Amino acid sequence: MAAALREIPMPHKMVVIMVDPILEVREIRHCYGSTVALDGVSLTVGRGELFGLLGPNGAGKTTLMSILAGLQEPSDGSVWVAGQRLSRSARGLRCRIGIATQDLALYPELTARENLLFFGRLYRLHESELRPRVETLLATVGLSDRAEQRAGTFSGGMKRRLNLAIAVVHQPELLLLDEPTTGVDPQSRNHIFEFVRQLNSAGLTVIYTSHYMEEVQSLCPRIAILDQGRLIACDTLPNLLRLQKTLIHLRLPQVPAGLIEKLQVLPGVTEVQAGVDQITLTTTESGLLLPKLAAACLQYHLEPTSLELDQPTLERVFLHLTGHELRD
Amino acid sequence: MSPTFTIAAKDLRLLARDSRSAMILLVMPLLLILVLGLSLGRIFEQKPDDRIRISVVNLDAGLPTDHQGFPPKNWSEMVLDDLTNTGNVRVELIASREEAEQLIRKGDRAAVVIFEPEFSDRVQRCSFVGEPFTRNPINPLYRDGILTREIGVTILRNPSQLVAYSVINQVIQVTLMRVVIPWMIGQAFEMIGTPPFMERMEKHIPQLKLAYPFLSKKTLGEGIQQGIGAFFSEYNFTGKTWAKLTKSEEPPENAENRSVFEASDRGIRLNRGALRYQVLVPSYTVTFAFFLVLTVGWLFVAERRHGTMVRLLAAPLARWEILLGKLIPCLAVSLLQGFLLLGCGWLVFGMSFGPTPWLVVPVVVSTSVAAVGLAMLVAGLARTETQVAVYGTLLVLVLAGLSGSMMPRDLMPEAMRTLSQLTPHAWALDAYAQLLPAPGDSEQAAPIPDAGQILRYCGVLWAFGLSFLGLAWWQMRLDSY
Repeated sequence: MAAALREIPMPHKMVVIMVDPILEVREIRHCYGSTVALDGVSLTVGRGELFGLLGPNGAGKTTLMSILAGLQEPSDGSVWVAGQRLSRSARGLRCRIGIATQDLALYPELTARENLLFFGRLYRLHESELRPRVETLLATVGLSDRAEQRAGTFSGGMKRRLNLAIAVVHQPELLLLDEPTTGVDPQSRNHIFEFVRQLNSAGLTVIYTSHYMEEVQSLCPRIAILDQGRLIACDTLPNLLRLQKTLIHLRLPQVPAGLIEKLQVLPGVTEVQAGVDQITLTTTESGLLLPKLAAACLQYHLEPTSLELDQPTLERVFLHLTGHELRD
Repeated sequence: MSPTFTIAAKDLRLLARDSRSAMILLVMPLLLILVLGLSLGRIFEQKPDDRIRISVVNLDAGLPTDHQGFPPKNWSEMVLDDLTNTGNVRVELIASREEAEQLIRKGDRAAVVIFEPEFSDRVQRCSFVGEPFTRNPINPLYRDGILTREIGVTILRNPSQLVAYSVINQVIQVTLMRVVIPWMIGQAFEMIGTPPFMERMEKHIPQLKLAYPFLSKKTLGEGIQQGIGAFFSEYNFTGKTWAKLTKSEEPPENAENRSVFEASDRGIRLNRGALRYQVLVPSYTVTFAFFLVLTVGWLFVAERRHGTMVRLLAAPLARWEILLGKLIPCLAVSLLQGFLLLGCGWLVFGMSFGPTPWLVVPVVVSTSVAAVGLAMLVAGLARTETQVAVYGTLLVLVLAGLSGSMMPRDLMPEAMRTLSQLTPHAWALDAYAQLLPAPGDSEQAAPIPDAGQILRYCGVLWAFGLSFLGLAWWQMRLDSY
């Protein structure tokens, strides 16, 4: 990822310059009858990037992933992968894309090894190349000891891991993960996160779709937010978080006259709201502000009874951008 | 391995692990053939038959040792020959009186004719003249015809089927008269002019002796016989059979009008080699060939349900590669099913493939092509397992019923037989009917099948199959996700 992006620190914002894009989505619009699923979506993903696509259910994420995988043509607009235009007929390009769908996509009657071998052969991998690759993948997703067991007998988490391994058996350059942790236990979820990070570290570009803000926030340095078919934000995580300010809730025995004015002039404070025994500060620089806040209180011989820091999250960013909550 | 064969190999592996398909495609038809063969097998052997069935138990012990020249065989055989050579009559031979009584009791037969052991002896003694010309003579004639008990014939009857009994009785009466009366006439006429005859005549015409100085008794006797014969020139009174008596042609022999009642049908026995299997095995092979609709439908639905269709579509494969990959194992399974069922028909049920067994190959292949075509079409239309199960089964059973593969096609009304030509099943069944020895054909006497006709039927099956495949290709949407 580091090779693909260069972050330039700015006073209040980082500007991202795409050096080597592997995926370019240009003004995609897609309709199901009269329903508009995607409305003019454009984004660019750099080679080696771990890119998050966040949005509530029904935002159009799966439709976008389906188009990116070449499974359907957009009603309008275009998708370019590694400089080539993607279409249903561009079969060669599909070798460079792997997809793990939201629903599991494996044969329960086949063993884990048979599943991997089958999908590897579909991509015309030579046996001499495929077999070691399959064994490596089985080991990586922790299924070596279950390789000869039918996938139908696996737990949900094991199936998810196998599903993920199948998506990369042909060594794609671009991996599309559509809600890959749906219905898995925390242990398998961590396993999947680890595997995704490992793949990304090895140079694989990953587009990670989820409606779980925490997942995207912990995994993806750059995130696009999709809502009602429209791309409402696309930036690095820090830049997105900067769209929201930190709130500091300070509870005091009393709020003396003059304290409000003193706090309003502190650097980074944009707003101060005061009650009988509580003050709420809105700030962009919570880290630097806290010592100064403590000093001000001491000056008035006040001992705060509580201090709460309400830092910006993607959840709040989403609420700020759309006017409704992510899990609505 | 190309992706197409990779998909085909995978589907074959899935099918091999799918006990449900094996049950439907292989076990069910064999079980049905077995059960129907045991329970209703006779129905499948019976062609529509308007002939009157005369059931006979022949206990005839044979001719007396002192019989001279005629008849050439037992009198019971003479009667049976007359019956079987009579138009619209067929004779069924039952092995024993007990069996006949049981059939009567059960109402399976309206009447059974029994030739008792003394039958030949008593018919041999039938005569118009008494002692001393005939030893222990019997006069079987009475007002209504032949008195059956006088000649050792017993007719068992079921009291609830009197009309049928009366018809059978009349047929027997006519046949017995045609056999017994010429015999009696022949014997009597041969006596005319013989020395005992002349001696008896002398008692009634004493003047006859006056002629002897001029004519010998022998010459006079022969002259009387010839004169009477010439007077009734349309008849041969010494013929002793109806055809000779009436100077008409002997009726053509109809051996096929005589059959043996199969006593084995009363018990639960496989009855290997029975003719029923000539109908049952191909019928159910064809019917269950089209049950492939369920297997293929489930294969496609499962591909969608498991989400793997998305992966197939995301892979660098053309649509035709995916469809061909699905089609190949279906065709392989269908061929395996066809040959396996017919093989079981031969091995287990002892069915015969007639004089040109190699023609089974194009018929099985063509039937499979038609079945696979229909299966692909249904697989493209059905979206869920329930749809496959409900609509697929309904379609297969309706087509089977319409085509006549669930019953003997010979029993179908003509209009339905014409309508059945709309189904591929009917063409496959016609091909098998042309190819396999029919019920009633013995192994050796089976006619050579018309290979050209069979190949024409195969051509129609291919046309069905390719049309179905064309429709399937046109309408099938491989779902995205």
